[in-house]
Amino acid sequence: MQSLYVEGNSVMHRLSPRLKLVSLAALSVVLFITDNLAPLSIAVLLTAVLYGMVGLPFADALRRLRPIFLTIAVVALFNLIFNPWHEALVPLLRLTALMLFAATVTATTSITAFIDEVTALARPLERTGWVQADDIGLALGLVLRFVPEIVTRYQAIREAHRARGLKVRPTSLLAPLIILTLKDADNIAAAIDARGIRRHGS
Amino acid sequence: MSTRDLVLTALFAAIIVALGLLPPIYLGFLPVPITAQSLGVMMAGVVLGARRGAIAVMIVLLLVAIGLPVLSGGRGGLAIFTAPTAGFLIGWIFAAFVTGYLSERLVNDQQSGLVQTVSFFLTAMVGGIVVLYAFGITYLATVAGLGFTKAFVGSMAFVPGDVIKAVVAALLGRAVMVGYPLLPLRA
Repeated sequence: MQSLYVEGNSVMHRLSPRLKLVSLAALSVVLFITDNLAPLSIAVLLTAVLYGMVGLPFADALRRLRPIFLTIAVVALFNLIFNPWHEALVPLLRLTALMLFAATVTATTSITAFIDEVTALARPLERTGWVQADDIGLALGLVLRFVPEIVTRYQAIREAHRARGLKVRPTSLLAPLIILTLKDADNIAAAIDARGIRRHGS
Repeated sequence: MSTRDLVLTALFAAIIVALGLLPPIYLGFLPVPITAQSLGVMMAGVVLGARRGAIAVMIVLLLVAIGLPVLSGGRGGLAIFTAPTAGFLIGWIFAAFVTGYLSERLVNDQQSGLVQTVSFFLTAMVGGIVVLYAFGITYLATVAGLGFTKAFVGSMAFVPGDVIKAVVAALLGRAVMVGYPLLPLRA
């Protein structure tokens, strides 16, 4: 699976992931405090410049944001029908600026850097007994490892249906897919424990 | 959390991700495709129960947040959470939790198949529709500035599709209960 990270050396690439996440949170607070169109428009311009500096080809940069921008625009249009234009424009600008900055953070932070950051942030939570920080990386790795296998398995089940002339229905396809996949859990868990990957595990 | 539970949640998260990669499934009588990922959220609760189901969904959202295009249509990245519909994504966690919580309490393996299926349907409706839409509509109303009435009306268009998904989730919940029961051994 191709991540959305873009190789590069822009200002945003060089900042630490934590600083970027904190700025994203801070920006969202600031944007939601103000109702004034002028600072909101400036925010859109600045975040657009920042996103432009990431180094994505123009078409790619647009394609990534199209589905999100479409929902923002549709809601704004919906808003425009019922409310004065000022009230429709404020959320449009606000969310567009936030979207551009969030996309910049995603494009300039590698998956590894993100996982390290998430693990570091979860470390203090270990004391509550809710989560083991190292499990997060393990779980994410397991997902990425097994997605291709599940897709292959789905295709095999579908082929088997066709070969037997059965109708392809969601229930008859997904039930064996789920059962077969989850039945692997015992073996995978045994393999993880045999390697002592989770030393704290029960 | 035992290693087995950790693996189960990760595998279920992988199933939800895979559902986004698969071609959409068409039901015989409807021209509308089932986008299977939100079905996966109901299934997580029905199959794994409250805690493991909610964690499976959280893993998917974490993958989105760290920049992997794991949502249907290859969407991903932090920007997803700035869309006006982001409340529905956050609501996924609570939808899976409530669906699972109710399933753990309503369904057991002594019941007949019909009782199990109907109970699963009700839990999927409450968790996957009532709870999910409460989050989605609140977010749409406040963050996108749409106001509650309009956000509510606008969202209702998607309810029929989700009712069908609840039916599918109920049938699957029952099928997994027969084939490989996980719900009674809750985490």
